[in-house]
Amino acid sequence: MNKLLEVFLIGISAASIYSLMAISMVLVWRSTRVVNFAQAGMALLSAYIGYELVSRTGNFWIALPLAMILGAAFSAFIEFFLMRTLLKHSSQGAIAAIAPIIATLGLLGVIRATIGFIWGHYDRQIEAPLSKVGFKIGENTIAMSPMSLFVLLFVIGLVIIVTIVFQKTNIGLALRASAYAPEIAQLAGIRVSGIRTLGWAIAGASGAAAGILQTVNGTGAISPESLEFSLLLVFGFIAAVIGGLESLPGAVLGAIILGMVLAVVQIYISGTLVFIVAFLLLLTVLILRPQGFLGTKAGRRA
Amino acid sequence: MLKKHPLLTFIFFGFILFLISNRLDELRVYQGATVAVYAIGIASLILLIGYSGQISLGHGALLAIGGYAAALSRIHYEAPIWLTFVIAVLAAAIGGALLGLAAARLSGPYLAGTTLALAIGLPSIANQFSIFGGEQGLYFDIGLPPASLGEDFTQYKWYFWISWSVALIVLYWLRNVMNSRYGRSWRAVRSNDVAAELAGIHVGRNKVLAFTISAGLAGIAGALLAMTVSLVSPGVYPLVLSFSLATGAVLSGVTTLGGVMIGSVTLVAIPEIALAIANRYGSETITTNLPGLLVSALLILTVLFVPNGPVEQLHAKRAKKGHSSHSLIEVTVRVGSKTLSTKKK
Repeated sequence: MNKLLEVFLIGISAASIYSLMAISMVLVWRSTRVVNFAQAGMALLSAYIGYELVSRTGNFWIALPLAMILGAAFSAFIEFFLMRTLLKHSSQGAIAAIAPIIATLGLLGVIRATIGFIWGHYDRQIEAPLSKVGFKIGENTIAMSPMSLFVLLFVIGLVIIVTIVFQKTNIGLALRASAYAPEIAQLAGIRVSGIRTLGWAIAGASGAAAGILQTVNGTGAISPESLEFSLLLVFGFIAAVIGGLESLPGAVLGAIILGMVLAVVQIYISGTLVFIVAFLLLLTVLILRPQGFLGTKAGRRA
Repeated sequence: MLKKHPLLTFIFFGFILFLISNRLDELRVYQGATVAVYAIGIASLILLIGYSGQISLGHGALLAIGGYAAALSRIHYEAPIWLTFVIAVLAAAIGGALLGLAAARLSGPYLAGTTLALAIGLPSIANQFSIFGGEQGLYFDIGLPPASLGEDFTQYKWYFWISWSVALIVLYWLRNVMNSRYGRSWRAVRSNDVAAELAGIHVGRNKVLAFTISAGLAGIAGALLAMTVSLVSPGVYPLVLSFSLATGAVLSGVTTLGGVMIGSVTLVAIPEIALAIANRYGSETITTNLPGLLVSALLILTVLFVPNGPVEQLHAKRAKKGHSSHSLIEVTVRVGSKTLSTKKK
């Protein structure tokens, strides 16, 4: 029973960070039909900015929202200057389908090299603002620390805010409309290109939060070649695919499924098998239910 | 000459290369061998992306399968060199066929993500089983060059000869395959899979076949890469290698096999250029970061401005000059006894 609780707690706190990453991939996919493989690089850059802000201001609680705003601005910048140009040139031929993918890869490389130039190739540490020692219930220490509890609550809060924005506000309606049918949305008077940039900006903020929270909740160390962030990208992608790559609730659901499965593997079998299991899960979902659990078939065709 | 006597051209090119190799110092010879390895890897990606319309961001993983298969067969069964290469091709092709079965059902971003995941996760898989030698990897030694080549025939020159012989054979073979019935089927599938299906092409089977062949070629590139560094380990096939190959394919132009040299030479030359710049300004951060920055920036610029590669761009320009009334291009693809036409404006 105790082990089961541990699985649940580890799974849910991993899922909270995966879902942030998945949400940012879904938002980018919905707005421009691009899977942003540079998301890991952008999250890493945000983590470095967070590190810089923490060491300048000395206060994590100011640094986190500031870094998210900067992450959003950077993401919008990328959409505005790189993706728009790319989609305008949108070439014919074999390259057309893969050009955006290749461009995000190039972006990933540029970001990594830039980080290397600025911060060098050794580890930087972000101090966790809260204790990372688990709560005590009676005699036992459980696998939930104040830090991971904060991460969980923060992510739940963000998901609620994003949901409210998407479902209850006019901007959310515009975001949904231009993802669903860009041309019709344009005819209805929505500035689709501006909405796209906004979608990227929200994705950037979400990715920035993922980057910083992953760092402080994990080892606290960041480096330009961080494998942790590459894995974060892969797990975010897998979570998004499980959910259907189209739907925000799907991204959260996918993250929870992935987090739980990986926690079970980690506790009951072996920590080294985590990646292989995640990969097999991805293949299984893609073969059995390629449109994901909450996605639509129509979405996948686009 | 290339059009009329392709085989002669390839032999002539090989002869020139071997003459050159006699005049270069060790480092250049080693880099020359690396160019050959990249050329094979990039050619295999061009086959996949440009000719069958699939993408792989994790080709490094397939190279690794080939490298490990070659090293294991050498260590445990003392297989001769040529046999280790054959085993590398077979092992990687089997892996590619399995991946291709899944891949044939996937479209662009899904396939890209899946292959990327494979390339990222490869080190953890290699560390999982002790037979792969963990982080240190396995020693892969193909032995000294035969004594009959003379006393001053160095080890690297031997690598150079092997790599380039294999590369030329592979490229020649690939060129023929592209012009064969299979090549035509792949191009038909890529440009319009519905029309291809109507013309009697089995789309799924063709995609899996393309993936398998591409993987087999990646396997031999992996074995050659392992040979040049005498080692197989997760560090020999990093994620960067997968990205480099994708970059090389885009730089070469994904639809032109002939451009393959552009990509492979660029990939080897860029670290050299970066090193030269770094030496002038004498800074360590430049040495470590500039190659990555240059490659990535070049990649973005290529995608933005010459998306179909320099060779294709040149052809397009020439076609524009030659025929002003070139607004309608008719492409006819013959597949077996059936003919498939698509008109493009």
